[in-house]
Amino acid sequence: MDSNSQQQPGSGPPAKPWERTGASSGPTPFKPPSPGSTSDVVEASGTAKPGEIVSNSDTNTVANRNSLGRPVPTRPWEQQQTYGNMYGGYGSGVNYNSGYGSGMYGSYGGYGGNYGGGLYGNNMYRGGYGGLYGGGMYGGGMYNNGFGGPMGGYGMGTGPYGDQDPNNPFGGPPSPPGFWISFLQMMQGVVNIFGRISVLIDQNTQAFHMFMTALLQLFDRTGMLYGELARFVLRILGIKAKPRKVQGPGRGEPLAPHNPRGNQNYIEGPKAAPTGAWDNVWGNNTSS
Amino acid sequence: MPAFRTPFNGYSVKFSPFYESRLAVATAQNFGILGNGRVHVFSLPPTPNAPIAELISFDTADGVYDLAWSESHDSLLVAAVADGSIKLFDINLPPTQNPLRSFQEHVREIHSVDYNPTRRDSFITASWDDTIKLWALDRPASIRTFKEHAYCVYSAAWNPHHTDVFASASGDCTARIWDVREPGSTMIIPGHDFEILSCDWNKYDGCCIATGSVDKSIRVWDVRSYRAPVSVLNGHGYAVRRVKFSPHQRNLMLSCSYDMTVCMWDYTVEDALMGRYDHHTEFAVGVDMSVLVEGLLASTGWDEMVYVWQHGTNPKAG
Repeated sequence: MDSNSQQQPGSGPPAKPWERTGASSGPTPFKPPSPGSTSDVVEASGTAKPGEIVSNSDTNTVANRNSLGRPVPTRPWEQQQTYGNMYGGYGSGVNYNSGYGSGMYGSYGGYGGNYGGGLYGNNMYRGGYGGLYGGGMYGGGMYNNGFGGPMGGYGMGTGPYGDQDPNNPFGGPPSPPGFWISFLQMMQGVVNIFGRISVLIDQNTQAFHMFMTALLQLFDRTGMLYGELARFVLRILGIKAKPRKVQGPGRGEPLAPHNPRGNQNYIEGPKAAPTGAWDNVWGNNTSS
Repeated sequence: MPAFRTPFNGYSVKFSPFYESRLAVATAQNFGILGNGRVHVFSLPPTPNAPIAELISFDTADGVYDLAWSESHDSLLVAAVADGSIKLFDINLPPTQNPLRSFQEHVREIHSVDYNPTRRDSFITASWDDTIKLWALDRPASIRTFKEHAYCVYSAAWNPHHTDVFASASGDCTARIWDVREPGSTMIIPGHDFEILSCDWNKYDGCCIATGSVDKSIRVWDVRSYRAPVSVLNGHGYAVRRVKFSPHQRNLMLSCSYDMTVCMWDYTVEDALMGRYDHHTEFAVGVDMSVLVEGLLASTGWDEMVYVWQHGTNPKAG
C-alpha cells in the first residue's frame, strides 16, 4: 500500500522531481533566500505581526489600493456591518460577544488573537445559536436548530470544538445569549450564507447565465402547459379566455354529434353550469 | 483507477508528498454554502481494479474549502475551513483526538492553503477577508498578515524555488507576488479583466506563474516582464477554478473549471490544449497531479466524486 512507509516522520518527503534537475531560469527579481526558519526570517525582517486580526472595516480602508483604479464589487456581506452596529448597540448590556472576543482574552499576549476573534468572538454565532442551546457544544450546531431541518445530518457533537480541542483553555461553554443576540446571530448567519452564494455567482457569472438560460428554455418548452394552466386559472376565476357558445343548461339538451365525450357528466348528475364545470377547462367542449 | 463517492460535495484534492498511494480530499455539505465539512484520506489500491479505501475521515463544523499536506510530517494535514479557522489534523490519531490544533484569525471563509515546499515549516492561507496569513507550526498565532488585496483572495501559492516568495490571486483582478521579508507586495500583476481564482508557479522556472480567471482563460506570466502574458490558454467554457503546473514536465499544466471539465495544457506550443476530461457531471473544483508518480491525476467536484487516473486514460474506466 504505502510503498515508502518506512519514511521516518519528521524527515522531509522524497525530493521533488524539479529539485533533482535543478532550476535554471537565469536571473531572478527575487532576493536570495534567508537562512533559518520562516518565523525567524520574518521576525528578523521586522515585518512580523503575530496574530493580527483584520476586520472587515479594516479591509475597507485599503480598498482604494486597487491597482486597476476601478471599483471592485461590493462584498455580499458588507451589509453585515449594519448588524455589526446593531451588535454594538446591544453590546454594552449583553456583551457576550466582545467580552469573550477582543476584550479580555484578546489581550492574552500573542496568542490572544486566536481566542479573540476566534472561538468565542467572531465565530460565536455559529455555535452560540445552534449548539449551545443543544447541549453545550461549540460550533457545528449553528444551522442545526435554525435552519437545519431539511438539510439533515449536522451537529458535530464535541468534535473539533469540544473539550479535546487543545487550543481551548476555557472550561465549559458560556451561558447562552439572550433572545435578541441570538436573533441577530441568526441574521448574520443568513447574511453569511447569501455571501457564499453571491461569491459563487461572482466567480461563476457564466454558469449563472447558463442556469438562467436553461430556466427560460424550460419555460419555453413547457409553454403549452403554461397556456393551459393560464386558461384553467382564468376559468376558475370566471373569466372566459375566449368567447364561445354557452352550452345548454342541462338534461335533454342535444349534444353536438362530434363531441366524443358524450354525456359523461350525467354520471354525476345533471350538468348545472357547464361553463363553470371542470370538464370544460380542458377544452373538449369548446367546439360545441 | 476506480472512483470514490464522498457524502459531501468535493472541494479540493491533494496527493501526499510522502506516499504515492495516499491522497486527501476536502468536502463540504450542500455545495459549501451551508453545513458541515469533512476531510477524507484515501489509500489508492495497488492494482487499478480494486476499490479506493478510506483510511480515515475528519468532520468539521463548516465546509472545508482546501487542504494541504504537511511537507515536514507525513501524517499532518492542514485544512482551510469555511468558518475562517485552520485545522491541523494528524491522520495517525483517531478522529476524537483531532484536530491537533485550530487557528482562528481569519474573519471570513478561507479559500486556499499552501504548505511551503522548500522550508517545510510554514504555510499560507488566503481568505475572503482580503488577507493572506503566514503561519508556522512553531508559533501559536499567525506570523504576519498580508493585506493589500481589495477583494477576496482566492488562492496563494509558494514559489518552489525562492522559499520566501509566494503569489496570490484575488477577486480584485490582480495577482500579487510577495516576499515574506518585505512589508508590501513586490509585484502587482493586473492579469485579467475578471476575478482571478487561482495561481500556481512553474516548478521548473521560479519566475513563471500561471493564473486562472473567471474570464475563462489561463494566462502564463514571466514575473520579470509581466506587462504581457507569455501565453494565453483559451478553451474552458466557464470560469477556471484551479490551475496546477506539472511537477514532472516544465511545460505541462492541469486546470479545472466550472465548465465541468479538467484540461491538460502545454503552454509552450500553439495548440495548447492537450487533453480534456469531461468525467465530472458537476463543477470540477479540485485537481492535483502526483509529485511521486508521473502522470497520475486526481480530481474532485460538486458531483461528490473523486477520480484518480493516469493521464491519457479514461478517468471513469476501471
